[in-house]
Amino acid sequence: MKQFRSMTYPYVAWISVMIVLPMLLIVLYAFTVSGNEVLTFQFTFDNFKRFVTDTVFMEVLGRSLYIAVLTTLICIALGYPIAYAIAQMNSRSNTIMILLITMPTWVNMLVRTYAWMGILQDEGILNTILGFFGIGPVSMIHTSFAVILGMVYNFIPFMILQIHTSLAKMDKSLLEAANDLGATPVQAFLRVTLPLSLPGVISGITLVFLPAVSSFFIPKLLGGGQFVLVGNIIESQFLTSGDWNFGSAISLIMAIIIMLSMWLTRKVDVQPASRGKE
Amino acid sequence: MPEQKKLIQFKNIVKSFEDGQVVLKGVSLDIYENEFVTLLGPSGCGKTTLLRILGGFLQPTEGKVLFDGEDIVNVPPYKREINTVFQKYALFPHMNVYDNIAFGLTIKKEPKDVIAQKVMRMLRLVSLEDYADRNVTELSGGQQQRIAIARALVNEPSVLLLDEPLGALDLKLRKEMQQELKYIQQEVGITFIFVTHDQEEALTMSDKIVVMNAGEIQQIGTPTEIYRYPVNEFVANFIGETNIIDGVMQGDDLVVFEDKKFPCRARGFNKNEKVDVVIRPEHLDIVPRSEGMLKGVVKSQLFKGMHYDTVVETRVGTTITVKMQVSQDRPVLNADAGEKISASAFLIDVEDVGELDDAKVVALASAEAWDVETEEPISIKNVEYDIKPEVGSYSVTFTTAAGTSITVKAAVMAENRVESKVYQEEIYAMNFFKKVEDIQESIALDTDLETWASASAWSLEDGEQVEITDVKYDFDPETIEPGVYDVTFSTEGYEYKVSTTRACEEGAEVGLIFRPEDIHVMKKEGQW
Repeated sequence: MKQFRSMTYPYVAWISVMIVLPMLLIVLYAFTVSGNEVLTFQFTFDNFKRFVTDTVFMEVLGRSLYIAVLTTLICIALGYPIAYAIAQMNSRSNTIMILLITMPTWVNMLVRTYAWMGILQDEGILNTILGFFGIGPVSMIHTSFAVILGMVYNFIPFMILQIHTSLAKMDKSLLEAANDLGATPVQAFLRVTLPLSLPGVISGITLVFLPAVSSFFIPKLLGGGQFVLVGNIIESQFLTSGDWNFGSAISLIMAIIIMLSMWLTRKVDVQPASRGKE
Repeated sequence: MPEQKKLIQFKNIVKSFEDGQVVLKGVSLDIYENEFVTLLGPSGCGKTTLLRILGGFLQPTEGKVLFDGEDIVNVPPYKREINTVFQKYALFPHMNVYDNIAFGLTIKKEPKDVIAQKVMRMLRLVSLEDYADRNVTELSGGQQQRIAIARALVNEPSVLLLDEPLGALDLKLRKEMQQELKYIQQEVGITFIFVTHDQEEALTMSDKIVVMNAGEIQQIGTPTEIYRYPVNEFVANFIGETNIIDGVMQGDDLVVFEDKKFPCRARGFNKNEKVDVVIRPEHLDIVPRSEGMLKGVVKSQLFKGMHYDTVVETRVGTTITVKMQVSQDRPVLNADAGEKISASAFLIDVEDVGELDDAKVVALASAEAWDVETEEPISIKNVEYDIKPEVGSYSVTFTTAAGTSITVKAAVMAENRVESKVYQEEIYAMNFFKKVEDIQESIALDTDLETWASASAWSLEDGEQVEITDVKYDFDPETIEPGVYDVTFSTEGYEYKVSTTRACEEGAEVGLIFRPEDIHVMKKEGQW
């Protein structure tokens, strides 16, 4: 494929300008002080020190990770059975179900989150319905429940699709083989289906955890002002306080945390396949 | 073989799928202990379905499966004392070789040291001791195959099912595995039920072969029985190369074919009963013409290393040649009336002239007229012809109300027959007219030529139809021009496949000999 190599140059240029350069700028900003002249950089670790030493920020970071992990776990718990059920269907209902699951993602995420605001509000649909039964009004919006609900709702299609793909591509004769060797359907699931669908779960985790940990408008809209996550802080540093240096530092910290977590999940993913390679 | 008890009994198994397709049509079969049984048949004959019913992966629509005398139709696969080697092995890709083989034992929660012992014994049996820690995806096809066998056998099943397990292997490896499987079966001493479509594989390994076709058992027997004494044409053709000749019994041990009497070993047939005579290629030998029991001409010879595959034709087929007149008639335009008319030359048999009327003539000539602008058809008002029941060429004129007319030729022909007296066979065909487009647009020209020429052949003995196997012509259908062409139809002669070490020239006149005990006589059956 040597002759096609020159065709990649436009993409390399594109990636350099649109992705690598901004990343470098973020790194540059994170290590400099605000307000300096363009050509006289003043390197400092103060931005990081400020983040790590301020308990408020650490609390926000902890909350962000907690919400993201919880969202991911709920997505696995709900998404796996759904993906499994879809994989068992015949090809026609299979296609329809996949379509139904992907359909909401055709609508802008922001719009869908606004819709949830309407549903969860104190005088929203849900509370009106509860009102008929003499319950409530239950305050749901601006709670961690609302934020997690919004995140699960927005990100679960990615989890379902990933798990479904790995289940669908599994050879059905493996289950027959397991049954043949004496495994009950439950044992066959635990020993064959589950381990073989783990790669799907892992990539599902990546696809859910990443946007969940850095999301800022879901907590903003559904969590109200009092529910601040890391994404919100970064957003406010850039858009309200104008402290790009501190914002960049937080972004960098988040990027490192995300990379670490991805590396960890990769490790878990690779392990079963390479077992016994010694 | 020692006396054995029936281990598995299929009782009248019927299996039909949701789409209404009936895959098994009442199969009954007994399988004994320690047997190597092969289910043999072409793809789609139901052999794999039968195996899957025994494995518990499919439910029969009707019938019973008895295992050790007990009906197991409703027993799930994981409770059956049967293990399967799947077509594509179905090894667990997330486990290494050891864990794959240990799978069944781990499920049964056997102690770890017992498992280790058994797994190692299995690995030794399939000669892969050093592969325990390997990843199964790194193994070659043959190694995966052996692991699949080891994984099934380690559970000490009383029956091992093998679903075309050698299909994915190359020829040399397949031969090796055939021997190995046979060895393993004798070593562990359990029943193997082996599914294959490869007749050679079946003959090599089996104690008993079950030949299946179209959801039914055709024959059950030892490899020798199946090969030497097939019960019908299907089995004879499916197992090995063979010559099948029409014959008539003349009483016990005497059969007539090719108009000659031959001694054979066949009893229990009625006198004058029609039979199929089977002679295997290796039981025929080529000798000088004067010494031959049958005489013929060498049509082809292929060198196969150990021997030659020779084809000897003992009689030629019946042949007929007819003339095909190809015309290219353009429609006639009547500009004043805005009409076009077209018709093509046609041909009619002498005997049919008397039955002609205007409508028939229009149909024979495919005459039609139409409005140039609207393309609406216009009826043909007048047909003029004077066709006499004598061989010759006549003019036919078609005219519309507006006076648009076209004249074409009609040829009256006598029947064109060739009779082959020696072999009591007759062939019939007629000369015919055709348009260039018809020939160019034909998808199956040979078949179309047969239809256009009304070609057919039949036996003069019993009037039964004989297949026309060869159509010859000397034009290129793509670029054919109007003109007259010869088309020749022939039936097949009798050809014998001979497997011999003797080299012959093509076209050499030779004789064929065979021994009476090598002639096998089968009842004629419609099924094939």
